[in-house]
Amino acid sequence: MKEPMNPSSARRIGRRIGIVGIATAALVATLTGCSKAQGGSSGQYGFDEAQQSKSSTITVWVDATRAPAVKAFEDANPSVKVKTVTYDGSANGSNSFKTKMALFDRSGSGWPDVVFSTQNNDAAWASQKTAGKQPYAAVLDKGLVPSSVLGDFAKGSLDPCTVDGTVYCLRNDLAQNVLWYDKTLLDKFGYSLPKTWEEYQQLSAKVAKDHPGYITGSVGDPWPEIFMWSSKCQANDITGAREVTVNTTSKECTRAAGLIDAGVANKSLSTLSVFSPDFVKKYSGKVLLMPGPAWFAGAIFNNKDSLNLPKGELGVADPLAWNGEQPVTGDVGGGTWFISSHSKNLAAATKFAQYVTTQDGYQVDQAPGYPAYAPAAAKWLAKQASSGYYATSLDPITTAASQVWSGWGYGSFSQEAIWAKVMQPLITSGKPTADGLAAWGTEIKNQAQVNGYTVK
Amino acid sequence: MTTTASTSGSTSAPARRRSTGLGVAGWSGRGIAGVVLVVFALFFVVPIVWVLFAVTKTGGELIRQGPFTVGSFGSFAANWDQLFSFQDGAVYTWFGNSVLYALGALVLTLVISIPAGYALALTEFRGRRVLLVLTLVVMLMPSTALVLPVFLEMNALGLVGTALSVILPFSFYPFGVYLAFIYFSTSIPDSLLAAARLDGANELQVFFRVALPLAAPVVALVGFFSFTQNWNNYFLPFVMLPSSDSYPLQVGLSTLLSSTPAFNPSSAGSESVQLPTLALGTVVSVLPILIVFLFSQRFLVEGMTAGGTKE
Amino acid sequence: MFIAPYVLFTLAFGLAPAVYALVLAFTDADGAFVGIANFAKVIGDYRFFADVGHVALYLVIWLVSLLVLVVLLALLVHGIRSRRVSAVFRLLYYIPGALAGASSVLLWLFVLDPSASPVAPLLHALGFQSFNQTIAPANLPAIFAIIAFWTGAGGWIVVLFGALNNISVDVMEAARLDGANAVQIATRIQLPLMRKWIAYMSVLSLAAGTQLFVEPTLLSQASNAVVPNDYSLNQLAYQYAFAQNDFNGASAIAVLLLIVSIALSALFVWRGGLFSTEDA
Repeated sequence: MKEPMNPSSARRIGRRIGIVGIATAALVATLTGCSKAQGGSSGQYGFDEAQQSKSSTITVWVDATRAPAVKAFEDANPSVKVKTVTYDGSANGSNSFKTKMALFDRSGSGWPDVVFSTQNNDAAWASQKTAGKQPYAAVLDKGLVPSSVLGDFAKGSLDPCTVDGTVYCLRNDLAQNVLWYDKTLLDKFGYSLPKTWEEYQQLSAKVAKDHPGYITGSVGDPWPEIFMWSSKCQANDITGAREVTVNTTSKECTRAAGLIDAGVANKSLSTLSVFSPDFVKKYSGKVLLMPGPAWFAGAIFNNKDSLNLPKGELGVADPLAWNGEQPVTGDVGGGTWFISSHSKNLAAATKFAQYVTTQDGYQVDQAPGYPAYAPAAAKWLAKQASSGYYATSLDPITTAASQVWSGWGYGSFSQEAIWAKVMQPLITSGKPTADGLAAWGTEIKNQAQVNGYTVK
Repeated sequence: MTTTASTSGSTSAPARRRSTGLGVAGWSGRGIAGVVLVVFALFFVVPIVWVLFAVTKTGGELIRQGPFTVGSFGSFAANWDQLFSFQDGAVYTWFGNSVLYALGALVLTLVISIPAGYALALTEFRGRRVLLVLTLVVMLMPSTALVLPVFLEMNALGLVGTALSVILPFSFYPFGVYLAFIYFSTSIPDSLLAAARLDGANELQVFFRVALPLAAPVVALVGFFSFTQNWNNYFLPFVMLPSSDSYPLQVGLSTLLSSTPAFNPSSAGSESVQLPTLALGTVVSVLPILIVFLFSQRFLVEGMTAGGTKE
Repeated sequence: MFIAPYVLFTLAFGLAPAVYALVLAFTDADGAFVGIANFAKVIGDYRFFADVGHVALYLVIWLVSLLVLVVLLALLVHGIRSRRVSAVFRLLYYIPGALAGASSVLLWLFVLDPSASPVAPLLHALGFQSFNQTIAPANLPAIFAIIAFWTGAGGWIVVLFGALNNISVDVMEAARLDGANAVQIATRIQLPLMRKWIAYMSVLSLAAGTQLFVEPTLLSQASNAVVPNDYSLNQLAYQYAFAQNDFNGASAIAVLLLIVSIALSALFVWRGGLFSTEDA
């Protein structure tokens, strides 16, 4: 191996580099010639199934909040082996569901059998082929899930799961916005409940003046759904499979921005995330009004780790309307459950997904939000009402479920991530969001284009 | 090359320094210098000291109590339980994975780079200079820039998701080869090898009987750098190992983070991780490295110093 | 034979990926040659220059603070008379180096969150009342630089300290006898002799700095996406690869990053006279 000293001539080195280069190129060539072979039988449910194995363990990805759903299923079905993996739930448009599935698509194995996502924009990509692999999401309405079950989901609740008329996921809950309020406090201060956003804004100003420190809502979380969606702001008008119309400087958008800015300026709107320890520390017992999703009840008010509002104080009212307009509302999340088309145990995976969305063991007994599955929703409401926790009737929640404005669609990109990036810094620093509306629209258009949408 | 650390206490220096003192403006200059030193010492140390206090508190105590107060052993135990019961003991799995990947890569790295450094320094072969230059270039090439192509490569080989998909790329460690090269070329005289060869030893015997026994310092050095770097690597395993079972701790930490309500709103559930538990996770994740670090300042100096030799 | 495994690994994990990245960067998904179309696409991406700006600003802040503070601290530590005190300071500075990657970011999440931070009064004094205010986009480059400095500076201080010890005592003594004060000694003697080390530090830091990934990734997760998941170039490449399924675009970004970091490093290496490829 030892050779005589070689006068390191340039020519020689050049040749070595050449050889190294050729060798590398050869290696690369063998690597790029990738295998495209794909097994599996054409399935009875509208997609190619993997080889089934009835007893195999199913892997389930959930966010931490949905972990009790898995426990409930395991208790009810001890024969099915489940492996739980918690992940971030793709919250706030982190894209982790999508990017991880793309990784599994590349490696050709490892897909979880069932995935919960907090977002409503996953069916848009999970229904599409990627990297030559069949779509991640199993088709549900071609026999995998009985049509009677699908038919019992609340009207419109499967919209985020439906692409070109095919259903790809099951909705966990409806996250329709209502107006939450502290009835005891409201009575004590002698205020009457606002019916319109205009009245709400006036009342907020009054609260800020007469009872500083009390709040009438929060804009600390990146949820354009609460104010913008409810104001019919045309930020997310998905008009076709790959088409979106964006206009964020309309009167509908500016009035909502004005509402936010006034509230932030007079401090009647908190700029802290409702989940932050600071929020709990600062505003426990000081939340007078709170427009927000149905699941706020369980996640924030009736939660000992959060605001922990005592029994008999929480009231709920219809979503606010703009003066002279029909009341409409928006959704903040309302997660979705996907079954993998690659699952080796479709039977168990389907059983699981159906259980967690429709059965009492989770949706009625434990779920913090309003079930999307109508029969469960009815029982959930009855149970909540009988708990004696609420100071008012829960009817507004049901009303709101049918008032979700349909002009806000479910694209494959995250409106929350965009809001967080462009608008949230303005809110946090106390700058007017009204000035950021144009930039917000631009960012939405850019994101849409990057994701293959035509922007109108 | 490794003279730096050893001369730190060169004998005559202290006495002379004391006699002349530090010029500047006497006491005020010294005072400012002292303040700067202490301020930065605080900057470096406060976060670490704080986290050690934090793990003894409950979530509420962490927010309400002063930062440097001790909680209770009970809270520490509760945090410990919560951390290690997370996802049915996932933290154990992640810890084991980290050990497997870092140690696996460590062994392979040593097997590959020590002989290579030896050969580059003390033997002649065709392409030696090319390989040296190449080593330098690749050494300066930030490894993360190649993560995506390496992913595709591993993918083509069908290794994505396996331990090998991180161990193999980890084991390509040109800096280690360079360290070994510098060590062998400066610390082992050619004559020693020549003598062995004259005695009739073949190349293998020369390496194993003469060079290797003298190479203990550089083995430790390369091992230290390889281990710490691979233990802390995030991007490569993040891409290569998409399923939770095969995460190393560093990637697992991000799962813990996403289950912490204060940092991720969607996780306000019962399984959620409280802040002190997350802090404990952070401490556990660095413990092995911290221990190695406390005893290996010398390695760092030697290794970094070796990189720039041409004294 | 001693080098065979190394050559194999160099080909497999050094050259092959680099060449592969190049191939991908100039082709489309079907493998057809497309010239610079991928580069045009990523450079034209509305996020590209924003990300370049983020990374560049971070690098500038980090490198400058590294150069100024590390050199200053090394000189100061070297000026301490008591060997024991000096050793203690070096150890204190050096320990955070153990916390790299995700661990250090997590720790800093706590430090930056005014509700839990050990330096909450300081954050409040700076006008940061909540975590989201602390991590406002304008602060991010500085924050990433602080985190990087916190983990990395100690090691370099120790290294420079070693370099300072290498300066012959006689030279220093002669200067002192000539009436030079500490500042003059530092600027006229110590700094020039440390030049090579400083260049070396810059090279390695620069190469590492362009690769910003784990910090913004975790911060994005922790900030409800106020820090976007495409803040840095590496993140953008990741999004291209796995969110948009465009490995060719991702490779184009990787190639650009490689070229820039190698070019910058080469500049320092060959100007700073670092590294020997022949026996010293």
